[in-house]
Amino acid sequence: MRDTFSTYHPFLNMLFFAGVIGITMFVTHPFILGISLASGIAYSALLRGIRKTIRNNLIFTLPVMIIAAAINPMFNHYGVTILGYLSNGNPFTLESCVYGLIMALMLAGVITWFSCYTEVMTSDKFIYLFGRIIPALSLVLSMALRFVPRFSRQAGVIANGQRCVGRSTSNGSLIKRAKHGITIFSILVTWALENAIDTADSMKCRGYGEKGRTAFAIFTFDRRDGKCLAFMLAVLGLLIYGASQGYTFSRYNPRIVVEGWPLTPGSALVFGSFLAFSMLPVVLELADRRMWKKRRLTVERQETVGYRLWDIDYE
Amino acid sequence: MSKIIEIQDLSFAYPGEEVRALNHINLDVEEGEFLVLCGKSGCGKSTLLTHLKTPITPHGKRKGEILFYGQRLSDMENRVQAQRIGYVLQNPDNQIVTDKVWHELAFGLESLGYSTPDIRIRVAEMASYFGIQDWFYKNVAELSGGQKQLLNLASIMAMHPDLLVLDEPTSQLDPIAASDFLETVKKINRDLGTTIIITEHRLEEVFPSADRVVVMDHGSVYAVGTPTKIGQVLRDDNHEMFLAMPVPMQIYARTRTETDLECPVTVRDGRKWLEEVCRERNISPAPSGRPSFSHKEEETEKAVLLEARDLWFRYDKDLPDVVKGASLKLYQGEFYCLMGGNGTGKSTTLSLISRLRKPYRGKINLGGTDLRKYKDADLFRGLLGVLPQNPQALFVKKTVRDELFEMIGGSKEKKNDEYHIAMDKSQAVDGIVEVCHLDGLLHRHPYDLSGGEQQRLALAKILLLRPRLLLMDEPTKGLDSYFKQEFAEILHLLQEQGVTIFMISHDIEFCAAYGDRCGLFFDGSIAAEGSPREFFAGNNFYTTAANRMGRKYFPEAVTGKDVIACLKQ
Repeated sequence: MRDTFSTYHPFLNMLFFAGVIGITMFVTHPFILGISLASGIAYSALLRGIRKTIRNNLIFTLPVMIIAAAINPMFNHYGVTILGYLSNGNPFTLESCVYGLIMALMLAGVITWFSCYTEVMTSDKFIYLFGRIIPALSLVLSMALRFVPRFSRQAGVIANGQRCVGRSTSNGSLIKRAKHGITIFSILVTWALENAIDTADSMKCRGYGEKGRTAFAIFTFDRRDGKCLAFMLAVLGLLIYGASQGYTFSRYNPRIVVEGWPLTPGSALVFGSFLAFSMLPVVLELADRRMWKKRRLTVERQETVGYRLWDIDYE
Repeated sequence: MSKIIEIQDLSFAYPGEEVRALNHINLDVEEGEFLVLCGKSGCGKSTLLTHLKTPITPHGKRKGEILFYGQRLSDMENRVQAQRIGYVLQNPDNQIVTDKVWHELAFGLESLGYSTPDIRIRVAEMASYFGIQDWFYKNVAELSGGQKQLLNLASIMAMHPDLLVLDEPTSQLDPIAASDFLETVKKINRDLGTTIIITEHRLEEVFPSADRVVVMDHGSVYAVGTPTKIGQVLRDDNHEMFLAMPVPMQIYARTRTETDLECPVTVRDGRKWLEEVCRERNISPAPSGRPSFSHKEEETEKAVLLEARDLWFRYDKDLPDVVKGASLKLYQGEFYCLMGGNGTGKSTTLSLISRLRKPYRGKINLGGTDLRKYKDADLFRGLLGVLPQNPQALFVKKTVRDELFEMIGGSKEKKNDEYHIAMDKSQAVDGIVEVCHLDGLLHRHPYDLSGGEQQRLALAKILLLRPRLLLMDEPTKGLDSYFKQEFAEILHLLQEQGVTIFMISHDIEFCAAYGDRCGLFFDGSIAAEGSPREFFAGNNFYTTAANRMGRKYFPEAVTGKDVIACLKQ
């Protein structure tokens, strides 16, 4: 199932992920990071299902967080609030502990957002965006993506053919196995080069190499995308303005300074606009689901009326 | 009508070769014509086709001219040529450039620099005309062979060419996909008036709609004319090309009649013709009903080489069963052909017998021992030979000779674990070369051989391992009738030496002519089996063209030869 935000123009998808991942990486304010992680998890749950998200977070993200949080105070000793001393005599400080936690939060946020990124930014979107910048690269990428599944399939065919003449990579001595593996690879390479000639012919036959090649794409930038882009830019503008005014300043060295709490109008602006930005795909998807639920209800209602009429006919 | 192509006295020789590949060819093609080019492989038909498209014309010595609408083809810009002359190659996979169906459709138009809105219209048009909209967003890797070739055709038609050149476009497809594809080509010719020049093995499919047929022989044009006329010419000359003609035409040619009926091209015409002939000779229709056969007892006398009992297989726990309780017996020295539609599990069954996959239930006995108990080395060296569908999967070396010696551990006369029989290695290789008709090819590169020759080389490599049971997956795919006949002769020779042959095939005519027993695979098991005669005579649809043509009079005649023999009596 495709989520709503994925159906927007690839440029918006890219802008969104660049924005949200960039902010998560370079801002150290705990609230911003908290918002980022929470909305990242929410989006991931919508995209990949709640169970998968939880499993992924427990197995992968949580250990990373723990390691990051634990390692930082072991190796960084800045800060003025000394909690104790390590066995090698170095100080163990509150500041580096807190910064470790912040780092853990940041890492978790980035990992979560990247897991969403791979779901949304499919290869064709990526190719399209880069094709705008370097047209030749987009064709190369597209061809490469065609070759990968072809090669692996052919490698399987060749391996089976070789196994049936008694040359398998799965038994025999190690040297023999390696030899057979190399044979398979050599056949694959010959095959690929020979067959590439056909591909080159086919490209030439269809006019490849003529001047003025264009890049066709199935993506169109429509009014909905325009509105969404305007919203994203406005929110980002507010965010940057607020941050540049120092409303949400944060620092952990030498002393912990975290501005913005309790809420001031300025910090509320920054938090609010970041929340609006990072929750955008979630809101869009939920609104869409609601719309479909409503539609389904109306359709069902219409159908029930129809069934009743039939029932009367039967009786 | 104006002439779209004029070939004027064209001669061509490949660099370093004495013999001309094309010899004084003169040919005019009318606008909107459907032209079929046929001839034995190596007769120069593919070379002629490549001359119709400058960017892929091979280098060599050339004389003569080709005119496209009166203009010299060599003077035409590639940009114009790319647009006006479409070219479809043999292999569906190799022609596809990009990873997405929609991108492939747009590829040619992108090259020519069309704007996005223009491309969108053309692509939409093509997707609708060819019925591609359902798989428009798919990755090309997910498509079947037939769909891929259709995509190639559509992506060329998107440029609106005036001339469409097709070089054996269906040789890699199964019969159903092939006839779908050819129907589409015919439809393009009918609906849009696009001129078609096609080379094709499946002449029975293209002859009915061909305006003219060109027969080529040794680089020159042998005969030109309507299919019917070609039939007559080839009969009068007793030309070897006749082997490749559709069965009704062959039967017509081999029968001397008083009536001067036209040469039949399709089975329908063939039936009409046969009716006339039978009336003339006072042959009455056979009684209806399934013909009975009485030679069932013979089989039990032969020794069983392989027995598979109740094989079950699926690729994954959650996937449906592919092979469902298939049982099979192969007798010593017989030639068994397994037929059936796509995706019925034939190839999977073959992989079970060749131990590439293991059934989750059921047993396979080979030569009295459980298949699972063999060591790889014992099984594949001297017992079981598997000819892969794509012969290129076996080619490792630079020459055919090295290729053969490589199989038995190099050309040094030293015994090793890959070769331990008493015969000298060179003697063994010489023998195989003779059996597989490879003499004269020993110094060529395996990839430079034609499809049929590659197939024979692969077979030779397998035979060097001296198998007692030979398994093959569609060995006749893409071969023309000569290569098929040659291949059949080799198989016959092997059979005489006691090799048992098991083959999967879509090629009904081949199985009927050469198989000892045929089986129909359906829904995961063998639905029917018997000798070709009883097998095909009992079927109505799944049977040979000769049987469909003559079944009213000679229900047990399965091949063209049978019908001819019946008519002679």
